[in-house]
Amino acid sequence: MENFWESVNLMIFVYALAAVVSLAVAWIIKLLFGVIHLKEKRAAANNPAPDEASDEPSGDGEKVIAEGTS
Amino acid sequence: MPDIELLQIFQGIATMVDGDPVIAIARIVLILLGFMFVYLGVKGTLEPLIMIPMGFGMSSVNAGVLYLSATSTGTLFIDPIASDPSQLMDALQINFLQPLYTFSFSNGLIATLIFMGIGTLSDIGYLLISPVRCMIIAICAELGTVLTFPIAVAMGLPFNEAAAIAMVGSADAPMVLYTSLLLARDLFVPITIVAYLYLSLAYAGYPYLVRLMIPKNLRGVKMDPTTIPNISKAEKVTFAVITSTLLSLLFPVAAPLFMSFFLGVIIRESGVKPFVDFLSGPVLYGATFFLGLLLGVLFEASTILDPKVILLLILGITALLLSGIGGIIGGLLVYRFGGRNFNPTIGISGVSCIPTTAKVAQKEARAANKHAIILPWAMGASVSGVISSAIIAGIYVTLLR
Repeated sequence: MENFWESVNLMIFVYALAAVVSLAVAWIIKLLFGVIHLKEKRAAANNPAPDEASDEPSGDGEKVIAEGTS
Repeated sequence: MPDIELLQIFQGIATMVDGDPVIAIARIVLILLGFMFVYLGVKGTLEPLIMIPMGFGMSSVNAGVLYLSATSTGTLFIDPIASDPSQLMDALQINFLQPLYTFSFSNGLIATLIFMGIGTLSDIGYLLISPVRCMIIAICAELGTVLTFPIAVAMGLPFNEAAAIAMVGSADAPMVLYTSLLLARDLFVPITIVAYLYLSLAYAGYPYLVRLMIPKNLRGVKMDPTTIPNISKAEKVTFAVITSTLLSLLFPVAAPLFMSFFLGVIIRESGVKPFVDFLSGPVLYGATFFLGLLLGVLFEASTILDPKVILLLILGITALLLSGIGGIIGGLLVYRFGGRNFNPTIGISGVSCIPTTAKVAQKEARAANKHAIILPWAMGASVSGVISSAIIAGIYVTLLR
């Protein structure tokens, strides 16, 4: 019986620790990608020229490649 | 012409007639069980990739028992208990599957090879759609992995064996193999067989569980595909490198699992096609084939006579059932507290077998509403399930080894 209650305590500990670590991983990922996307948005806002240029028809092959690789 | 005893020629039969009748009956039962696994595998009722080599190995090893000396019997397949160096050298030269067992199975290599293959099949971009919600579901879907532990202790198993069988709740058979090798070496064969056997059956049973626990109108909730962000390969690789390093720092005992899974992910995202084809083809299917074959030949009569096998059968199904219930509860919680625009059927895919449970979720959602497309979110929950299962395996092994 003592073993059983010890295992219940251990189960609670394992579940709680696993939940904390898993959610911490999820939040780190969320924050990380939040920062990456924020930087991308800022970069796009500070440098709008390529987007404007892409709206205009052009026969320039280099511009087409730039769009494809962005 | 010397005196010839017919039974000495047909030693497989002679060892049955001469030996303990209980062992003889167990051998016959296992030969028939092997036939049944092959039949059900070919028919598609059980997972053919694992059940066909396993069933055939099981039949062959229990038929091919011979006299090794005047007093002892054995086979020419594997000696799983050989550990003394000279005994092991003998076994390596005599038993034809011993090199595979010693150098790939008993050290967990085969499980990590399968993990690399699974990594190449997993698009972690789906997890990045909504990492926190996916992880909440995954944690709920570990209910069986943790609740089965005290139940197994109450049924008389020691802590290490209880944790090994509880891992069946993770629904990730290579992970079960890896954990049971580290925690309960004496029981890793029946535990892994129970895991593979039940996983085939559980996927047939989970749709009923979904229909039982989730009302039809909720199963048909539509998800908004415009919320799926565009995630670049560089971002996915960044995620894989950071997560693998972080988890390996926290749980070094499970580092081979983390490393293998995320290496597969990185190879997939790197786009090196020859490596992707190699890991997702020959490595994954080769490792699965030999895993099935080795499990089959390890399933000798003495294994089934262990009274703990019945206990493992009961605990295995309990773990999978509880994990399925937990996953669905997780889906319902996210639906209730996440703005009611989340399909709770996704919860079942937190039980981590990529991509089967995700397909179960999609199929059930589609049956309730033909416009409901939930597969991307379900795949995200499944990938989260792999990560949370590896975390729990790491905790169990660290605490109980």
